[in-house]
Amino acid sequence: MEKLFESLQLMVIGLTTVFSVLLLVIYLGKGLIALVNKIAPEEEKPKAVANNVSASNVVDPNVAQAINMAISQLTAGKSQATKIERI
Amino acid sequence: MVEILEKIYGMTAIGNFVEQPLYIVMILLAFVLLYLGIKKEFEPLLLVPIAFGVLIANFPGGGMGVYAALDTTYNGVLYHNAVTFPDGSLWCDANGIPYNIYEVGLPLIAHDLGIMNYLYYALIKSGLLPPIIFMGVGALTDFGPMLRNLKLAIFGAGAQFGIFAVLIVASQFFTMQEAGSLAIIGGADGPTAIFTTLKLAPHMLGPIAIAAYSYMALVPVIIPLVVKLTCRESELKINMREQDKLFPNKQEFKNLRVLKILFPIAVTAIVAIIVPDAVALVGMLMFGNLIKEIGNNTSRLFNAASNGIMNAATIFLGLCVGATMTVDAFLNWQTIMIVAGGFCAFGFSIFGGIMLVKIMNFFSKKKINPLIGATGLSAVPMASRVANEIALKYDPRNHVLNYCMSSNVAGVIGSAVAAGILIKFLG
Repeated sequence: MEKLFESLQLMVIGLTTVFSVLLLVIYLGKGLIALVNKIAPEEEKPKAVANNVSASNVVDPNVAQAINMAISQLTAGKSQATKIERI
Repeated sequence: MVEILEKIYGMTAIGNFVEQPLYIVMILLAFVLLYLGIKKEFEPLLLVPIAFGVLIANFPGGGMGVYAALDTTYNGVLYHNAVTFPDGSLWCDANGIPYNIYEVGLPLIAHDLGIMNYLYYALIKSGLLPPIIFMGVGALTDFGPMLRNLKLAIFGAGAQFGIFAVLIVASQFFTMQEAGSLAIIGGADGPTAIFTTLKLAPHMLGPIAIAAYSYMALVPVIIPLVVKLTCRESELKINMREQDKLFPNKQEFKNLRVLKILFPIAVTAIVAIIVPDAVALVGMLMFGNLIKEIGNNTSRLFNAASNGIMNAATIFLGLCVGATMTVDAFLNWQTIMIVAGGFCAFGFSIFGGIMLVKIMNFFSKKKINPLIGATGLSAVPMASRVANEIALKYDPRNHVLNYCMSSNVAGVIGSAVAAGILIKFLG
């Protein structure tokens, strides 16, 4: 009987606490949304990395020449590379 | 010649199998778990290490089984945290006094009890790995859907009902600590179940971990079953997007990135104030999430938390938990009660979430699909995926995944808080 009472008590405490914590999380979330909208309304644009990416994709002319020579040798001059991309 | 054969026989484990055939039952159980993990793909990342841990722990003479440390009476004297070997003898020092395992160094444990006991007492019994896994879970969790549908997060509380409902029943058959460990299976969160059991009833770790992870793997079976028993077709057809159009959400997001960074910090603070015992889990969950949301500046930490550290922790957690499932620790009536009680806790948790939705629908104009309540469990994201599939079966246009993710992610916080309460009051 004592255990039953203790577990019932724990149920009341437990469920009340879990509900309270999640209610607080909900209202905290709402508060944060309002706060962020007020103090930091602009989302920072991600830094333009496209140029860096394309720059890093540029293949060294010497390497390109070497690749073309290899292809030419392997295909007896019938083929050549039109585009070389770094993967 | 006979002597040589006897020596060879004594060297092998065959004699032990003849003496104690229950070892074979455990090995067969390991095979079944391996089959479920490998072939049926039931939570393979955890079930495979656990199953292999069971397998290697149950080859007699291998020394890979984990010994439970229990209070034991020896020669009329009570010894705390003593280790009893399968033959009934105690692990004693040179003077014949049983060791208290927490008072000896890890090298001695490794030397006398084997490497698996070293790993278990260093990584698991210390409570280290579950919070580390929570950090990885946090790094893989997106609180975006929850922030977009904040009100739905409350169902993460409704779905903790099973924990406390089963606690009441289990307390009639077990000690309060054991009942609490069993009941936490209803939170549908493996690391939380392990963490709570370690604090309350470590001798029940093996069966509870197996039950928790098995039921998590059975989410695609259990949720549809409970939904079928408790929901009407008209309720399952409630289209959340149409409800949103009828009753639009006025919340506007101007800077989601900053919001996602502030959110884990604020939640940690709130939980730490209200339920300090839950901070080990919730704090690590939120830390993992924070290093994910910060972005490039902490990407190396994020990669470590979500890949290397989490994977290593999962391997050791699985193997060690499996190794606790030895013949003595697993094949008893308690295990059957844990399996049955765990199922009830799981089912009642889903039921609790659904009932909370029904109560809210009764008072509110904006209706909510009860599947969102069913996903208040912390089995992320499987519960949401299963609920989405059920919704699509009734209405192919009704995508509820994002809405379910809100209550699902809240369920992770809810079950960790429930664990903190159990530890506080029963620990």
